[in-house]
Amino acid sequence: MKKKVLSILLAGAMVMSMAACGGDSGNDQSSAASGGSTSSGGSTSSGGSTGSSAADAGNASGELVDGKFAETRTITVEVYNRENDGGSDPTNNMYTEYIKKGMLEDHNVQVEFVSVPRWTEVEQINNLLAAGDAPDICVTYDYPTIQTYANMGGVLDLAPYLEDYKSELPNLWDWLGEMNLYWDRDPETGTVWGIEAKLATSNRINTFVRKDWLEALNMDPPTNKQEFEEMLIAFRDNADKLLGDDAANMIPYSVSFDVGWRAATLIESFIDPAISDREYYVNGFDDRKLTQEGTKEAIRLLNKWYNEGLLWDDFALYKSGDSTEDDMMKAGYVGAFTHNWDYPFRNGEDSINASLQRIVGDNAAYIAVDCFEDKNGNYTKFVPGPIDRKIFFPSTNDEPLACMLYLDWISDPEHIEYLQIGDEGVTHNVLADGAVETMAATGDAIQNSGMNIDYTITCNGLKMADEEKTALSVAHNYAGIDAAIVQGANEIAQTDMKVGKNVNVGAIAAEEGMGTVLSEKRDIVYDNAVKAPVADFDKVWDQGVQDYLDAGGQAIMDERAEKWVATYGDVDMLP
Amino acid sequence: MKSNKQEVAPRRKVSFSVYMKRYWQLYALLVLPLLYLLIFKYIPMIYIQIAFKKYSIVESVWKLPLAANHGFEYFIKAFKSKDFILALRNTVGLNLLDLVIGFPAPIIFALVLNELCFKRFKKVVQTIAYMPHFLSWVIIYGLALQLFAPSTGFVNMILNNLGMSSIPFLDDSSHWVATYIGLGVWQNFGWGSIVYLAAIAGISPELYEAASVDGAGRFKKMWHITLPGIKPTIVVLLVMNLGNILGSNFDRPFALQNNLVMDVANVLSTYVYKVGIKGLQFSLTTAVGLFQSVVGVFFLLTANWISRKLGEQGIW
Repeated sequence: MKKKVLSILLAGAMVMSMAACGGDSGNDQSSAASGGSTSSGGSTSSGGSTGSSAADAGNASGELVDGKFAETRTITVEVYNRENDGGSDPTNNMYTEYIKKGMLEDHNVQVEFVSVPRWTEVEQINNLLAAGDAPDICVTYDYPTIQTYANMGGVLDLAPYLEDYKSELPNLWDWLGEMNLYWDRDPETGTVWGIEAKLATSNRINTFVRKDWLEALNMDPPTNKQEFEEMLIAFRDNADKLLGDDAANMIPYSVSFDVGWRAATLIESFIDPAISDREYYVNGFDDRKLTQEGTKEAIRLLNKWYNEGLLWDDFALYKSGDSTEDDMMKAGYVGAFTHNWDYPFRNGEDSINASLQRIVGDNAAYIAVDCFEDKNGNYTKFVPGPIDRKIFFPSTNDEPLACMLYLDWISDPEHIEYLQIGDEGVTHNVLADGAVETMAATGDAIQNSGMNIDYTITCNGLKMADEEKTALSVAHNYAGIDAAIVQGANEIAQTDMKVGKNVNVGAIAAEEGMGTVLSEKRDIVYDNAVKAPVADFDKVWDQGVQDYLDAGGQAIMDERAEKWVATYGDVDMLP
Repeated sequence: MKSNKQEVAPRRKVSFSVYMKRYWQLYALLVLPLLYLLIFKYIPMIYIQIAFKKYSIVESVWKLPLAANHGFEYFIKAFKSKDFILALRNTVGLNLLDLVIGFPAPIIFALVLNELCFKRFKKVVQTIAYMPHFLSWVIIYGLALQLFAPSTGFVNMILNNLGMSSIPFLDDSSHWVATYIGLGVWQNFGWGSIVYLAAIAGISPELYEAASVDGAGRFKKMWHITLPGIKPTIVVLLVMNLGNILGSNFDRPFALQNNLVMDVANVLSTYVYKVGIKGLQFSLTTAVGLFQSVVGVFFLLTANWISRKLGEQGIW
C-alpha cells in the first residue's frame, strides 16, 4: 500500500514538473517566434520596401494620444551593475523610481530594469541575446557584437523608427542629432543597427602621480618621458622614506593586464601626431592601438621599466574587475598610473583620492600630469569621436515605439540634469557662483556610477540644461575632491586633443565575431611583451603581433584598406 | 546475458499485461529519470546539426542553410586555426598529466588511510582531505594568488625573506603546468578516494586473517589482497577517465589561466568559450564540441575493449 501511495505521489510530482517545464518552453517558443517575425519585418524594410514599416509606423503613431499610449506598455531596459561596495540596488533606487514614474506619466509606459554586470557586459549580453531574453533596450560598448547579431537577424533596424517617429522624438534628435544617430548607418543599405550615445565631454585619459611624494622628494611634476622615468626611479629608490615599513609594497608605476588602456597616454605619444586618417583607420580595429605604427617602441620602454623594477610585478595575474590594484592605490603604495581622466575622483567617499587622504594623510593625493611628449613635443591625445555606448533593440523587442519614447525621455535635458545631480541638499549643493557641487549621498540616493551614466544611456559626462552652469560645475562634480585638482585634470585631459572622425565604409565582414577574440589576443601580446626579458623583447613582440595578425587581424586590415578605397577613393585625410 | 536467459527460461511465461500490473509502480518510478535523459541529453542532440549549418539565432535549426564544403566548413576552419591545434595539444597534455599524477593519488591515499588503526584520526584526516572538493575553482585561484603571486604571494615572500628569489608559480608556462596539476590533485584526491575506500571495505576480512596466518606483512597484504580486491573499481574508473581525455571541465582551466601562460593554458573548453560563445561563432563551437565527443567515445570504447580483453569487467 505504502509503495502504491508513494509511486502515485511521485508520478504526480513528475506530471506537475513536466507541466511547468512545458509551460516555460512554450513561452520561449512564442517569444522566439515573435522575435523571428519582427526581425523579418525589419529586414524587409531595410531591403528597400519601406511600405510595410511606414504602415507599422502609421498604426503605432495612431496609438499615441499626446505622446501617451492608451494601454500601458511594458518595456525592459538594461542597466549596468557595478557591484560597488555600499552601492544601491541598480534596478531599484531613487533614480529608477524617478524614471519609472516619469515614463508612466508622460507615455504610459511601464519600465523594468534588467541589471547586467558592468565588467562582463559583452559576455552577459551575448548570453541574453542567444537565449532570447535580452532586454528591449540593450546597451553595450562593443559595436561588433551588435553587427554580428544583426547579420543573424537578431537586431531591429532603427532607421524606419527614427525617421517615421521623428516628430515624437524631439529630445533624442536634439541631443544626438544626425551625427550620433546615423553614425553607424550602413552607407549602402541605410540600416541603423545601433545608435551612439554622446559624450558631453571628450576627456578620455590621464596619467596621475602622487603629489605628496613629489613634494617629499623635492621634485616637480614630470613634463616629459625622461623626467617621468627619473621620477619612477626616485620613487623606487626612496621606498623606505616614502613608505616606511611598507617599503616592500612600493609600486612606482602601476598597469593592469589591460596594458593597452593603462598605458594609453604613453602609447599614443609614440604615434605620429600627423598620422593620416586612412592609416589610423586601417590599423585601428584594435582600440588599444596594438597595430598602430609606434606602439612597439612604447611597449619597449614599458618593458625596460618593468625589468628595472618600476612596474607592478603581478599585473597580469589579476582579472578584469578585480579591485586589488585599486586597493593598493588607496593604501598609498602606487606612485603613478594611467586611467580614465577622472578615475581617482570617482565614487565619492570611496574614491581613490578620498581613501588616500583618509588612510595616508591629508596631503596625499593623485594629480594629473602631462608627461608623455610626442615627436613634436606636444601631448597629443587621440580621442574617438563624440560617441560612447551603443544602444540597440534586439529583435525580441515587441515595443519599439515605447522604447524609442524611452530614449527620447532619457535624452530630455531636464531629466538628464536630475539624474546627474539629483536633489539639492541630498546629492548636491549650489555654490555662491551658481556652480553645482556634488556631495556624498547615502542609501537610496547613492549613484552607482559617476553622474548616473548607467541611467543616462544617451549621455556620458556632465550635461545640465544650462551650459554655463555645466562649465562651472565640472570641477565641483566629485564629492570630497579638491576642485583645483579636478580642474587641473580636466585641463590636462583636453590639451592637444585629437578628435577622431567617423569613418563609415559599411560593415567589415572580417570583423564579425572577432571583437572579443582579438581583444584577448591583444592583451596576451601586451602582457607577454611587457614581461619579457629585455633581450627577448623583439622576438616576443613580433611573434605575438604575427599571431594576432594570423588570427584575423590581417584580414580585417586588408578589408578595411579595400573598403576605404571603395568609399573614399585615394584620399588620405577626411574633411 | 547468457546466465540471465538460463534463469528466465524455466519460469512460466507471464503475459505483458499481468507483468505490468505487477510491476507498474517500478516503471512509474523509472519514468522521471528516463524523461530527464530524454529532455536534457537526447533532445539537445537535435542541435548537433548546427555544426554543419550556418547558424542564426532567429531561424529554426531545421531551416538553416548547409555550411560550405558539404557542411564541413567549420571543421576545416577549426583544424586550420592555430589556436585550436594548440588548445587540442594542451587539452591532451594536461589531461594525460592529470591521469598519470592525479589518478593514482586517491588510490594511494585510500591504501594509506586503510592502514591507519586509530579510527578517530582516520576520520579527521578523511574529512580534511574531502574539504577542497567543495571549494570552487574561483576561490582556489584566489587562494593560489595569495600564496603564489610573485610579489605578494605568501610562499614567495617567505622565499624572499630566506634570501631566495621568487618562483614564478603562476606566470611562467612550465611552472604553471605544475601548479595546475598540483592544485588539481590537491582538490580531488580526498574525494576521489571515497570510491576506493568503499571497495576496500567490501573485501572479506577472512582473506587478511588467512594471509596473517601465512605470515604476510602489511605490504604483502596490501599488494596481494587490497590491490587485487579493488582492481575492478580501478579499471572502471580508468576506462571512464580515458573516455574523458579530450573533454575538460571549464572552470578549472578558466579560473587558473592568465594572459602570460595562454600558450599552455588554453584548452578546448576555454577555446570554445572564447571563440565560440564570446565571439558568437556557434557553428564553430558546436563542430569542436562534436569532434571532442566523437573522439571521447572512441577512446572510451577502445579502453573498454582493451580492459575486457585483459579479463576485466569494463563498464558494460
